[in-house]
Amino acid sequence: MIENKKAHKFGMVIDLDKCTGCGACMVSCMAENNVPFKEDESNKKDSITWMRVYRLTNGKSFPETQIAYIPRPCQHCGGIGDHGHSPCVSVCPATATDYGYDTGIVSQIYTRCFGCRYCMGACPYHARYFNWWDPKWPEGMENYLSPNVSPRMRGVVEKCSFCYHRYQLAREQAIVEDREIEEMEYQTACTTACPAGAIVFGDLNNPAHKVHQIVKPDPHPDPLNHKVVGKSRNPKVFRLLERLGTNTKVYYMSDREWVRKAGDNYLKGEWENVKTHHGASSSHG
Amino acid sequence: MDDALIPEGAKRCGFPTFMIGIVIVGAVLLWGVYAMFLCWFKGLNQTNMNDYYGFALWIWADLAVIAVGGGAFFTGLLKYIFKVDELKNIINFAVIIGFICYSSALLILAIDIGQPLRGWFIFWHANVHSMLTEVAFCLSCYFAVLTIEFIPNILENRQANKVPFFHHLAHNMHGVMAVFAATGAFLSFFHQGSLGGVAGVMFGRPFAYREGLLIWPWTFFLFTWSAAAFGPCFTLLVTKITEIITGKKLVGDKTVHLLAKISGWMITTYIIAKIIDTIYWAWVTVPSMGFKLSHFYSNNGFYGYWILITEVILCGVVPGLLLINKSTRENPATRTIAIILGVIGVCLNRWVMVLQIMAVPVMSFDTWALYIPSWQEVATTILPVAYGIILIAVAYRYLPVFPQELELNKSADAAAQN
Amino acid sequence: MKIDRRSFLGLGLGAAAGIALSPVGVKLTDDSSIWTQNWPWTPVPEDGEITYDRSVCSLCPGACGISVRKINGRPVKIEGLDDYPINNGGACLHGISGLQYLYDPARIKTPLKKTGNKFEKISWDEAIALVAQTLGKIRESGTPESLGLITGADSGSMAQLFARFMDAFGSPNTYTMPSLESNLALTAAALHGADRRLGFDLDHSDFILSFGAALIEGWGAPVACIQANASRCERKAKLVQVDYRLSNTANTADKIIAVKPGTEADLALGLCAVLLTKAQISTGRLFGDVNKFAFATMVVKEYTPAKVEAITGVKAADIEALAMEFIKAKAPVAVPGKGRGDVGQSLREFAAVQTLNALAGRLNKEGGVFVMGPADYLNFPENVMDEVAEKGAGKDQLAGSVNELVDTLEKNGGLSALFIYNANPCYVLSNPEKVKAAMDKVGFKVSFSSFMDETALRSDVILPASIFLERLEDVVSGAGLAKTVVGLCRPMVKPVFDTKHPGDALILLAQAMGHSIAQSFAWESYDSCLGEVAEKIWENLSGDGYVVIDDRPPAGTPATDFSFLASGPKAAEVMGEGDYTLVPVDKMRLAGGSMASSPFAVKTVSDKVISGKYSVVEINPATAGALKDGDVAVLKTAMGTAKVKIGFNEGIMPGVIGMPRGLGHAFNNPYVAGKGVNVNDLIGPVIEPGSGLDAAFGVKATLSKA
Ligand SMILES: Nc1nc2c(c(=O)[nH]1)N[C@H]1C(S)=C(S)[C@@H](COP(=O)(O)OP(=O)(O)OC[C@H]3O[C@@H](n4cnc5c(=O)[nH]c(N)nc54)[C@H](O)[C@@H]3O)O[C@H]1N2
Ligand SMILES: Nc1nc2c(c(=O)[nH]1)N[C@H]1C(S)=C(S)[C@@H](COP(=O)(O)OP(=O)(O)OC[C@H]3O[C@@H](n4cnc5c(=O)[nH]c(N)nc54)[C@H](O)[C@@H]3O)O[C@H]1N2
Ligand code: SF4
Ligand code: SF4
Ligand code: SF4
Ligand code: SF4
Ligand code: SF4
Ligand SMILES: [Mo]
Repeated sequence: MIENKKAHKFGMVIDLDKCTGCGACMVSCMAENNVPFKEDESNKKDSITWMRVYRLTNGKSFPETQIAYIPRPCQHCGGIGDHGHSPCVSVCPATATDYGYDTGIVSQIYTRCFGCRYCMGACPYHARYFNWWDPKWPEGMENYLSPNVSPRMRGVVEKCSFCYHRYQLAREQAIVEDREIEEMEYQTACTTACPAGAIVFGDLNNPAHKVHQIVKPDPHPDPLNHKVVGKSRNPKVFRLLERLGTNTKVYYMSDREWVRKAGDNYLKGEWENVKTHHGASSSHG
Repeated sequence: MDDALIPEGAKRCGFPTFMIGIVIVGAVLLWGVYAMFLCWFKGLNQTNMNDYYGFALWIWADLAVIAVGGGAFFTGLLKYIFKVDELKNIINFAVIIGFICYSSALLILAIDIGQPLRGWFIFWHANVHSMLTEVAFCLSCYFAVLTIEFIPNILENRQANKVPFFHHLAHNMHGVMAVFAATGAFLSFFHQGSLGGVAGVMFGRPFAYREGLLIWPWTFFLFTWSAAAFGPCFTLLVTKITEIITGKKLVGDKTVHLLAKISGWMITTYIIAKIIDTIYWAWVTVPSMGFKLSHFYSNNGFYGYWILITEVILCGVVPGLLLINKSTRENPATRTIAIILGVIGVCLNRWVMVLQIMAVPVMSFDTWALYIPSWQEVATTILPVAYGIILIAVAYRYLPVFPQELELNKSADAAAQN
Repeated sequence: MKIDRRSFLGLGLGAAAGIALSPVGVKLTDDSSIWTQNWPWTPVPEDGEITYDRSVCSLCPGACGISVRKINGRPVKIEGLDDYPINNGGACLHGISGLQYLYDPARIKTPLKKTGNKFEKISWDEAIALVAQTLGKIRESGTPESLGLITGADSGSMAQLFARFMDAFGSPNTYTMPSLESNLALTAAALHGADRRLGFDLDHSDFILSFGAALIEGWGAPVACIQANASRCERKAKLVQVDYRLSNTANTADKIIAVKPGTEADLALGLCAVLLTKAQISTGRLFGDVNKFAFATMVVKEYTPAKVEAITGVKAADIEALAMEFIKAKAPVAVPGKGRGDVGQSLREFAAVQTLNALAGRLNKEGGVFVMGPADYLNFPENVMDEVAEKGAGKDQLAGSVNELVDTLEKNGGLSALFIYNANPCYVLSNPEKVKAAMDKVGFKVSFSSFMDETALRSDVILPASIFLERLEDVVSGAGLAKTVVGLCRPMVKPVFDTKHPGDALILLAQAMGHSIAQSFAWESYDSCLGEVAEKIWENLSGDGYVVIDDRPPAGTPATDFSFLASGPKAAEVMGEGDYTLVPVDKMRLAGGSMASSPFAVKTVSDKVISGKYSVVEINPATAGALKDGDVAVLKTAMGTAKVKIGFNEGIMPGVIGMPRGLGHAFNNPYVAGKGVNVNDLIGPVIEPGSGLDAAFGVKATLSKA
């Protein structure tokens, strides 16, 4: 697909100082996207949660302990240089997961996926989930399933779609009315659910959108690591494993230094140098 | 009872003895088949794989059999392209082992995928960027080549060969085998490489990721090289085992020494490349992503530096040196040790490149994941071994696999007749 | 024709080639893959027109506005309602999972009657007749007071309808399950007079001193509190959390004051003492003169910083500094009710915290505590009471609280029939075994439950209630919120099973009983009753979906009666012996009270909370002894023993064991029940004199490797 001027780049920024770990985003996502559930979901390694909230601590003892919750949807990686070769998309042999150059959304076509799980191995965020079992609902409960997202069959991979169907609904409306999609018209189910207002969603390419204003993405490649594009110029904002060059579209924000540091891996001493570096443009004023 | 099928002049055990062996191994095979059907009909929940371990035991087995099956393409390459004529004495067997390895690999893939009936999407909706697409295409094509390489040997069966059409077909196929060997070598080069690429391109997984040449990460070349290096070890090992079981010498020492020597030099050069790759990766690639080497070998209950040392030194450098040194190469005991170490080494390499990758945490707040396979996985992983044993037993019994067999066992037969 | 080998082979090869080249193979391959995309056992949701409908969630006291997305009238998703005055578009995970309650496997699908040990399906007519007949006999025997009622909430028309029934029947024996709301009402009654509610204006406070209140884990109106906390962060208003573990609330706090469990009241009184001495708050400034000097004298003498340090573990200097910081803030407020503020609470603690507010002059001030009157929007017609009713209703209550009722019943019995509405005492109260034994002493138990929970399982007749998504009802905010909003819960879908609105069930029952009771319930249906009794606000309520009754500080400063604290009530001692103190821990992702969690909610719970069949307990590694993270251990208290998994947590005070509340359910929903243990099984009630509250905030415990 051709990149055009009007291409969107949907993304989010999650304020980790606001996130309370309440789990509303996880459930909203499951309810929105017909995610099934099993009797025992305590093995988190086979529990399908498109949105998963990780809990980390600063490792200190009470009462100096601090917790941070990190909600982790699919990061909708743009891949090295943000060229659209996400870790998962580039490896899928059957093109069952694809990069939307005009939305930045990494899609998943369940009916095309044949379940090789290569994409899961390639994703460092564990954002992809395999349907090890047939989805099953207690008798009658399938009545609440939404037709906007088809229930998946056993043997295929699924993941967060940035609620693509919500985009489609908004886009259809916009097309009918011959106008652009408004910021608030397309919001993901996790964003709207968050009682703490920790998630902001919108078009990273659109300076009028809040997400753009918070993130201030740097259009130039990071001079320290040319794989990285779209680094935030906001000193409180970071991305997970940014150094790998996955170029994720989910940004995180925190006032707490230990939380920002936990977003990536650093060798001894590196953080001290890196923590003040926020994108190319900030270095030239 | 089945005398008419046994190659002319060859001595084989009695049919009942043969069948007892087949039934015992067949029972193991059926156990594997049962597990296979469980996986197909109930789904992959029959395994202990999970969302962290999307690739697990049998994918390791898959990569390992392909690696050790590399003896087929490499021996073929030497025999038909580089005209190392001495290898004619082992080429049939190398092809059979390759055939077993590759058919097993395809079978494992058919069990492994969550939607086996959609397996063909990999060809129909092929993504040219995916190493797995390359693997699938080359693997399937090469399997076809191996089948073609195997057919003349089958047609040389005493009864089949009586049919003039088959006789001529076999003869003519032998004539054009160089073309197939060349094709096979090319395809094999690519799929061995792309299997290495599968891991190497995962830039989200620092333990797997390698820089490289054009679109190919270094693991691409290392996998091809290691398959060529260690594949012959496996051919020699299986030959040795077959000799022990049949109680006969089947391949002449000259051939064995030659193949061992070639393998030795391939291993030695490979392991030098592997060491350079490891050092570059550990000192340059990994730190650029924020990791120290120790990250991959500590804070967990299994993966320590021992695995790196075992793979590279004990099962790489040591067999390489043992096989390039004439005296240790020609000493059956040290040669056998070297061959065994070599096979373990390449299997360990594939293990590391499949399972350790999945176990290593990447996000700073993630933890090591360890995994224990279910019996269904173990059974389906053993299934190809049982299948391989049966196919070798049948091939050995009914096909003229080893051209030197009669010659090498003349004196023994004579002694037996006295 | 003779088929020789060659022609046979030729034929075979030819056929194979033919089939391979024909479209059959391709077609079959394609069909088989299409079949995998249309497996008949994978549901295909029906498509249709999308509409949105609005209602109110009543799963918890939060009373959030919700928006229900429907496809051809079929509800598919619940979300928070934008611009609703309580939750402003937000919703919690339990509310969002609402549709899972609709189709819950544990739902009661028809009226049931217990015969022997088994439930038998009966019709509504039979069920109503059976209950009416049994109750009729009780009335005839002249002991109407032996009918009891245990109910969850005591606000709104349904609460009043039940109260009305009890009155008309002639029984004073109505008991409310402990809730934050009821504890606050009790506090207000002790300090400011009867029939008051307390609301905490967190939205406008610049200094919140929380005595363990789990403000973002379900205290009060959960979504409203989470939003208040988020706005607090934005406003840079301070939160100081008094706690013994790093709850999520403590984690967002600016400062944590680590106290020994159960000593929060002492700290509050210590702060009062500092205010009276250091901050020169003259007793003259205290409103209301009941025992204020006695209180001041007592508190200044008994709660010196040094003494309080010895009790709570908080340094004397820190106590003084905290008191001064509190009084110097522009709009400070102290918040009582550790955890969700419902069970295991003491009046002493609530009163001490509220007294701190009173001393600091924070009553009826913006950003302080509102002492509000009842939400007066309902006008029920005069109840028709016959002689039996007058006599029975005039009798004394059997007990002062639901906890005391359990005690009395277990020891002596005393009720011949019991209604249970909106309550699951056999799970929620401490020592549920004793509650069950008490229930067994009651001859005839009628449950109005929607789910076959622990209490419904022990009932004799069940009149299954439609859930909130299937019924009309007024839902009043409360639970510590500093405003009063009445919302209208509307049926989003026709009852899925053969259930009724509990209001309708009650009306049918009253009418079946005839006489004065029938006259008191002369409505056609609950819906018409509501329209009539809520007439004052009905137009706005049905039009906008809600009515804000008030959201401003009430005028004037209420008087405070210091008698209760001046009498020097003693702190509740926890039961038993052991090196550890076991305390229940409230988690936002687990419902703890009468409402059980949904499958979705349970799915989100960490493996550090539920691990397979085990509850995971939090323990500081420093006091874990030989136990290691992930070990299975035996936890023993005076009440019982449980196998649990050990979960190391640096964020809990050494010597304290935190156990998640809301697990160990025992009913037929495999996604929710059968996981872990009910922490209440391990805790014995410690009834506080003077309030009747179960003040057991925890229990002494031992841990050993299993
Ligand atoms: N095996 C299998 N294959 C299938 C299907 C199946 O069920 N099974 N389904 C088929 C069906 S029904 C469909 S529709 C296709 C969908 O297949 P595609 O259309 O290929 O895939 P999508 O990811 O849905 O959308 C394509 C791209 O459109 C982009 N896009 C979104 N909005 C706009 C826009 O306004 N302008 C432009 N230019 N681009 C936009 C998205 O970002 C995305 O990258 O797949 C088909 N393929
Ligand atoms: N998340 C996400 N949502 C999407 C899209 C996306 O890319 N991502 N794509 C959108 C697009 S382009 C489309 S076209 C829609 C497709 O949305 P759906 O129409 O839901 O498409 P499928 O997933 O292909 O599922 C179609 C369903 O129809 C059933 N079915 C198949 N054949 C028949 C039949 O003959 N009769 C009946 N009664 N049922 C049958 C199957 O059981 C299958 O579950 O999804 C839209 N929604
Ligand atoms: S987070 Fe994982 S699944 Fe999502 S785009 Fe990135 S690599 Fe793919
Ligand atoms: S599992 Fe599905 S989406 Fe993932 S790589 Fe394989 S075919 Fe593609
Ligand atoms: S964006 Fe949508 S699909 Fe992704 S996590 Fe949020 S709710 Fe789920
Ligand atoms: S809903 Fe919001 S506050 Fe709750 S866990 Fe998700 S991001 Fe955090
Ligand atoms: S907080 Fe209570 S009322 Fe609000 S959505 Fe959650 S359960 Fe419903
Ligand atoms: Mo489509």
